[in-house]
Formats: sequence, C-alpha cells, structure tokens
Amino acid sequence: MKRNGAVFIILCFAILAMVASGKYLNRSRQHGITSTLVGDVRGRTAPEFELTSLDGKRVKLSDFRGKAVLLNFWATWCSPCKVEMPWFVDLQKKYGRDGLVVVGVAMDDTEASKIAQFASEMGVNYPVLLGTDKIAEDYGNVEFLPTSFYIDREGKIVGKGTGLLGREEIEQNVQKALASRDAGMNQASRAVAAPNVAKQQPRAQ
Amino acid sequence: MKRAVCLVILAWISVAGLVGQEPGTKVPSVTFAPVGKVLVKPGGSATVQLDFRVGSEFHINSNQPKSELLIPTVLKLTSSGPVNVASLKYPAGQDVSFPFAPGEKLSVYSGDFTVTAVVKASAKAANGEYPLNGELRFQACDRSACYPPRAIPVKFEVSVVGQ
Repeated sequence: MKRNGAVFIILCFAILAMVASGKYLNRSRQHGITSTLVGDVRGRTAPEFELTSLDGKRVKLSDFRGKAVLLNFWATWCSPCKVEMPWFVDLQKKYGRDGLVVVGVAMDDTEASKIAQFASEMGVNYPVLLGTDKIAEDYGNVEFLPTSFYIDREGKIVGKGTGLLGREEIEQNVQKALASRDAGMNQASRAVAAPNVAKQQPRAQ
Repeated sequence: MKRAVCLVILAWISVAGLVGQEPGTKVPSVTFAPVGKVLVKPGGSATVQLDFRVGSEFHINSNQPKSELLIPTVLKLTSSGPVNVASLKYPAGQDVSFPFAPGEKLSVYSGDFTVTAVVKASAKAANGEYPLNGELRFQACDRSACYPPRAIPVKFEVSVVGQ
C-alpha cells in the first residue's frame, strides 16, 4: 500500500514536470523561438532596448529606471489592442504620479505619421515607440498582439499579459510593478525623465 | 514499476500536447484547396473557384474591412505568358462582433470562403499548360489576440486547348 502511494506521488511530480516541459517545447516549436525570454518571465531582467519614438527621439528602457513600466506591444491593425488603449490612458493618469510609465511599442509596418495619427485619435498620453524585429525577438518573439510586460522600478519583469486582458487584471499587474516603491525611490533620483509625450509629433518621413 | 513508467510517458504525450495549446498561442492557418483542371480555348476565358479554409478559432479580415487600418485579405496572381487573370471576385465578409469589441462589427472570413477568378487566354495562345502563381495575404485574429500579416502560396494550372 505504501509502495503504491509513493509511486502515485512520483507519478504526480513527473507529470507536472513533463507538462511544464511540454508547454515550453510546444511554444518553441510553434514560434521558432530563439529568445531566452520564454516561459515564466517573472523575476527576469527586462531586456534593454533602444527604439525611435514617434517624434524621432531615441528612447531606451533604462531611461525609465526607477519607474514602473507597462511595455505594451500593439499595432494599428489589432482590434483587441484598441480596447486596451483607453485603459492605458486612464492608468497613466491614475498612476503616473506614483511612477508608472506606459510605453507603447507599435509593431506596424507602416509610416510613423499614420501611427501617430491613430495614437492621437485614441487620446494616447504616453510614449509610443516604433517596434523592430529585434525587440520582438528579445522579448520572447512577440508575435500575437496585444502583449504587455509589466516591469518594476528595478527593471525586473513582474508580469506578462498575452492577448486582451481585463482592465482589472491589467491594473493589478501595474500595482505589482509599482510595488517595489521603496527600492525604486532610491533610484528615482538617478532616473532620466520620461519623454514629454504630450509634445510627440510624428517624425518626418 | 514498468507500468508506472508507461503511465508517465502516456500522460506526458497527452497532457503536454493539450496544455501546449494555450489560447492566443496557436498559429493561425489558412489553407488553399487544390484546383482541378482549368481548360481555356485560345481567346477564351474560364471561371476558377479558389477555395480557402481559415483554421478553427480564427478569423481574417475580408477583402473589404470596415476600417482602412485593418489589413484586407488580398489575392495576387501573376500572369503566365498568354494566360492572365482578368478579374477576381471576393465574397462579402460576414459582419461579426467579437468579445473584444462588442459594439463594433468587423467584416471577416472564417471557415471556408471562395475567391472567384476569371482567367483569359490570348487569341494567339499556343496549346499547353500555363501555371498561375501568386499568394493570398491575410491578417488573422482569434477572440483575444491578433497575429502579424502572413501570406500563403496559391498556384494552379490553366490548360490552353485549341480547337
């Protein structure tokens, strides 16, 4: 009887381990994943990037060190992404003073001016950067949109959302990213100010 | 103990496969059904039904999406010598509301849809087989996520047969 119990427990552990490996292998196979940022990304350092904003400035993730970052991959052709954007606008207003910066990464293959027009029509009040294949690869081969990463003040990923999430879930992730307030406040003085998004203009094409 | 090992292997195969299919992580598929023989006389034309199937759980924008921001489904075929594509007729999209935008209707294709092509052969076309190649470009979404635009190859042959 004892032997059967032990076998059962071993079986359960083995199945759990194999489920986890199967999940990883399946994702890797389907998406040809080469990035190391796959699986459970929580606690991992968010990969540094340097992208061009809609107004032509070069923006790095490290510019926001000391702030919590909601990094949202989206595209103008992505209808579910449009649903989230007003929520992000509200969250930026609500938590901006606490140190939240929403950063949009547009994965469109179109002119910056069209992206800027769309962002303006959506009332976007946060920086929008022009995505590249490299950032998509660095963040785990971001393929489906929307995909968001929640990054704490020390640059660690505390959450990831794939596909359209509910607003509550997004806000909870934002609060998690902001939670490292004490550690972050010490670094905040070293942080570079976020770009003035209100003045964003599309760069000349 | 051997039995336990077998059970573990079976469980791995079945459970890992199922769990790997997370919502929003399946790769959307659109497939093109093979076209039967298309016969055209020199100077004549023929209508060809090009059948496509959108994988379950996905939809793609129709050829006439309701917003210019949405990427339409477009079939491009290149002419082959004396045979060319005179016209393409896309089906009307289905107007559907999705959970991500319940107040908005999108014009989409899901399941099976057919694009009708009219091919023409020039009057001087010599007898023979003329391949028409091209691609169907589409952009797919499921109920909560969208995928980058993709294209699948489309190919069929037109036989020119003189009298």
